[in-house]
Amino acid sequence: MARPSNGPRSDEFGASPSPDQLRRWGLEPSWSRRVTFEDAHGSRLSWHVLDTGSGPLGTIVCVHGNPSWGYLWRDVLRNLSPGWRVIAVDQTGMGYSDRPGPRRLDERVDELVRFCRQEVNDPLVLVAHDWGGPIAVGAAGALETRALILTNTAVAKPDDVPVPPLIALARKLTAFSCERTPLFVDGAAAMTAQVHREALRAPYRRASRRRAIADFVADIPVRASDPSWAALEKSASTFAALECPILLLWGGRDPVFHDRFLRDLRRRAPQAHVERFAKAGHYVCLDVPIGTVIGNWLEEALSERSTPAPSRRLLLGDAGGSSNATPLRSVLASVQERSGDSSLVYEGPDGTITWRDLATRSSLAAAVLRRHGVAAGDRVSLLIGPSVDLLVATFAIWKVGGVIVVADASAGAVRLRRLVRGAAPSHIIGTPATLAAARLGRFSPGARLAAFASLPGVTDLRGPVEAAFVAPVLRNAALAAVVHTSGATGPAKPVRYTHGALAAQRDVLAHLWNIDTNEAFTTSFGPFMPLAPVIGMGFVRPDFDVNRPSELDFDTLSSAVAKGPVTTAWLSPASARVVATTSHGRRLLLRLVMLAGAPVPRSLVQQIQDVTQGEVRTPYGMTECLPVTDGTNPLANFALGGTATGRPLPGALVAVVALDDPRGPVLDDGAWGEILISAPWMFDGYDAKWSADSTTTIYREGVRFHRTGDVGYLCDGNLFQLGRAQHVLRTACGPLASVAVEEPVADALRRPVAAVAVGPPGSSVVALVISDQGKLRLAPASFAKAARAATPHQIAAVLVGRLPTDRRHQSKVDRTGLAESVSRFLAGR
Amino acid sequence: MKVVVTGASSLLGRTVALALAERGDSVTCFQRSASGTELAEVRGDIRDGAALLAAAAGHDALIHLAALVAPRAAWSDAYGVNVTGTVNAQRAGELCGRFVHISSPSVAFKNVPAVGVGAEPACYAGRDVYTRSKAIAEQLVLIDNDVPTIVVRPHLVWGPGDTQLVGRIVARAKQHRLAVPGHGRALIDTTYVDDAARAIIAALDHAVPGDEACGKAWVVTGADPRPVADLMNGILLAAGLRASVRSVPAPVAAFAGRLAQSFWPGSEPPITHFAARQLSVAHWFDQRETQRVLDWTPRVSVDEGLARLAAWFRAPR
Repeated sequence: MARPSNGPRSDEFGASPSPDQLRRWGLEPSWSRRVTFEDAHGSRLSWHVLDTGSGPLGTIVCVHGNPSWGYLWRDVLRNLSPGWRVIAVDQTGMGYSDRPGPRRLDERVDELVRFCRQEVNDPLVLVAHDWGGPIAVGAAGALETRALILTNTAVAKPDDVPVPPLIALARKLTAFSCERTPLFVDGAAAMTAQVHREALRAPYRRASRRRAIADFVADIPVRASDPSWAALEKSASTFAALECPILLLWGGRDPVFHDRFLRDLRRRAPQAHVERFAKAGHYVCLDVPIGTVIGNWLEEALSERSTPAPSRRLLLGDAGGSSNATPLRSVLASVQERSGDSSLVYEGPDGTITWRDLATRSSLAAAVLRRHGVAAGDRVSLLIGPSVDLLVATFAIWKVGGVIVVADASAGAVRLRRLVRGAAPSHIIGTPATLAAARLGRFSPGARLAAFASLPGVTDLRGPVEAAFVAPVLRNAALAAVVHTSGATGPAKPVRYTHGALAAQRDVLAHLWNIDTNEAFTTSFGPFMPLAPVIGMGFVRPDFDVNRPSELDFDTLSSAVAKGPVTTAWLSPASARVVATTSHGRRLLLRLVMLAGAPVPRSLVQQIQDVTQGEVRTPYGMTECLPVTDGTNPLANFALGGTATGRPLPGALVAVVALDDPRGPVLDDGAWGEILISAPWMFDGYDAKWSADSTTTIYREGVRFHRTGDVGYLCDGNLFQLGRAQHVLRTACGPLASVAVEEPVADALRRPVAAVAVGPPGSSVVALVISDQGKLRLAPASFAKAARAATPHQIAAVLVGRLPTDRRHQSKVDRTGLAESVSRFLAGR
Repeated sequence: MKVVVTGASSLLGRTVALALAERGDSVTCFQRSASGTELAEVRGDIRDGAALLAAAAGHDALIHLAALVAPRAAWSDAYGVNVTGTVNAQRAGELCGRFVHISSPSVAFKNVPAVGVGAEPACYAGRDVYTRSKAIAEQLVLIDNDVPTIVVRPHLVWGPGDTQLVGRIVARAKQHRLAVPGHGRALIDTTYVDDAARAIIAALDHAVPGDEACGKAWVVTGADPRPVADLMNGILLAAGLRASVRSVPAPVAAFAGRLAQSFWPGSEPPITHFAARQLSVAHWFDQRETQRVLDWTPRVSVDEGLARLAAWFRAPR
């Protein structure tokens, strides 16, 4: 069985990498050693491993895939030692290990188990990549495993996913592609950065060294008749039964193990934590510093005080935790109850729809979706602007228990593609134009397309008339939506909402708005539209591009209001400003106006009050939780300034804690710090963003709080917002909230002002930028003097120039970017 | 305490000597020309070690401010005053038992923006004889000291009666020759003279065995950095001048400075390369450690200092 000519020591390259090579590859030469153990047949096997020796926290065993070797775990080896003992093995026939002959999947699992039993006594952590995944999972079933970390891998071939073309090709031509030529090795190495390629190729320079690569590819089971099929099935069932914490680290740009494989793994282990790196590829372990993420995750997952991930039962079972005990009125309730109502639920430039038609048409579309395999929990991406079709699609998806994925088209095609891919939808519903773009841009490989139109290769959601559609019961804990943060203050993050949270949001909005079902509302925010039928209100869409909030002027808004019984408007500050400035003394009567998307200047509140003669509210909220406060008393003032956002809504908890100390005590009234929030209508978590989840989630006295990253303070039960924590000016005299510095100056000069920090945090100085046309420059002396006179704080420099704003709201000043420009300017070069 | 102050005829030296006398210390000034104060004085050249030792006999401490600041001085003169003079001063300071050496942040100026930094080690990046000789002197002081020794680096000291910064700006403005590199946008720390003097006296009080301030250099500033143009305009306004500051592109100024340094006939070229670089890149400092260790904080902001300067210009003299 063994091929003596391929014995390790007869190879001209030597059995182990040289110290010089290891140093060049960023590895400690002392880590490289050989381990001999007996396989199931009693033969001696010699493995090459990279072993950091010892670590008080425990042992991590890393298993590579094909064609790679222990070098793959460079970042884990370097970052997690010496706290952890990290062992990166080279599997039999691979890397610098022995080349005895072909190995099947079950043999590889067995060898790993034997190796671990001999070398590691304590419970261990297993980390694996690629085809190392099923091997590690198989071993995890036989060993005492504390935690399992998988990166771009599979434990089974998902039914709906074809064999990755790269693998299929390699299989057809194994001898040629894998052994006789370095095609497979080079092709794989080309998937990561140049710096890693030499190390990845080094052990596979000669055809005889590549023998196992070909054997490995030949062993990949793709059908039940393949010899290793049973072993793979066993890995899949072991994986689904694992009790230990699981982390899935995923590169989003992998042509082999793409997002459909991630979806499969998540379906098998819904409790697993997921961190997906949109820009990393197949070798995610080399593309991003995964050592840090793994270190943080292990610390949290294995610590005593960690809050357990939602249990499998809560996510999958019918009976769940307390939040599941009493199902709230479903988000579908209003639409179902009014299925005989012939009044309009939506009126927009694209057309109108009645409550009755919405009920009927969404049921028809739901039937089509169900027939095309959309099941409960499946994600459906909506590439439709605010329109009749968007409403019908949303309710159709919910009626089959699906999850809507909403991505902001204003993000631009590249970002939109990234957001859709990240959600890994099984279906995409769009218009002919957006579907063409999705198809062309490969928005989601393997997703089926659907539209309210007859297009080749696209499911027509208008469908034939059928028998009444029966919607399933929507459980509170079931996912309802994945929306995205604007990315105005950081990269856009996917945000998960459950049906329970949406139902709670509906109820709190109804309370906040004091809704009458005969009323309608209008908004400048596109994503808020499906809220109207959920709440039981009508909705009128003004005729403007929702991606350009500053295009909503007075005339557009008033013609929308004139259409229906519109009493309520929800406007972004950018839209509100344009409406106010284009009103020219005219009035537009409304009962209630919500201004969301702080900061909202007091002057704007006053102007809108004058124009509408209605009540203006400035509730506090964000994509992760909306609304948090009731927005009453928008003109309230307090010494520290900031946007007055009213009182926390019934059921919402607001805590203000010291900056950088979210676990510390709650601050007194009037003291500012970071705002923590909790509410039943809060988001469920960021999707596939474990790091963001773990840094923004804080448990205080058993209650889950979200760290908003906003700063503010409470006073007499009212919450005042002072901007973003990342914009806090960390001066030598202590931290200053940017908004608190800006407001008095802006009031005195009657111009928008941004305060930014220059210099290292902790010893930085404050520069003010006063809004003006043109490039950054020093302010004239009189201006600077007036600005300094308006604030008690020390101001190093007063500048004038254009203030950069974000894309979505066109009102949030990009202070981070501005701080960089100001720092460059004041550095003098 | 009986204290020797060298270089007491300068604005800062005089302010230090007077402040010490005011709090009850017995002060002896040592310099070539009259100090302009009524304090006890010994006239002598700092290069004359024996004279300095004689003057320091019987004193408890020595504060060494004497220096040759002229940017185009001959190297032998700069070396003699700034290096040999400092060696002499340190020897006299060791005789007394405490030594405070006044250096300059420019000894560490590396031609790159210094933004919120601490006291970097002295280097020889300075292109002119002043910074180079001061850098050598500071290192000699810090390498080897037998008695409690502290180095203070006050940054751009100014105030009423200042002939260096204020005097030059006003003189150039009157000749319509005032130009600033790169629109004067670089953020720069300055120190009002009274604050600098108080910092030096704080250092003197900390020059005791075991104090953590000893054996190190401390940058001292007013911790109120401003863009160069704002400072210049403020000074012109205080002096009652209507002149405005012209801007020269920073590289042009640097080049002009290099030329002037080599070929300008007079002793006072309109710009030196070093000055051009210093005025066109930011340098301001993290003062938290200095303030904590010296137990001192500046009291005069730039605006307050300018108000005092304006009052001084208006006062009949």
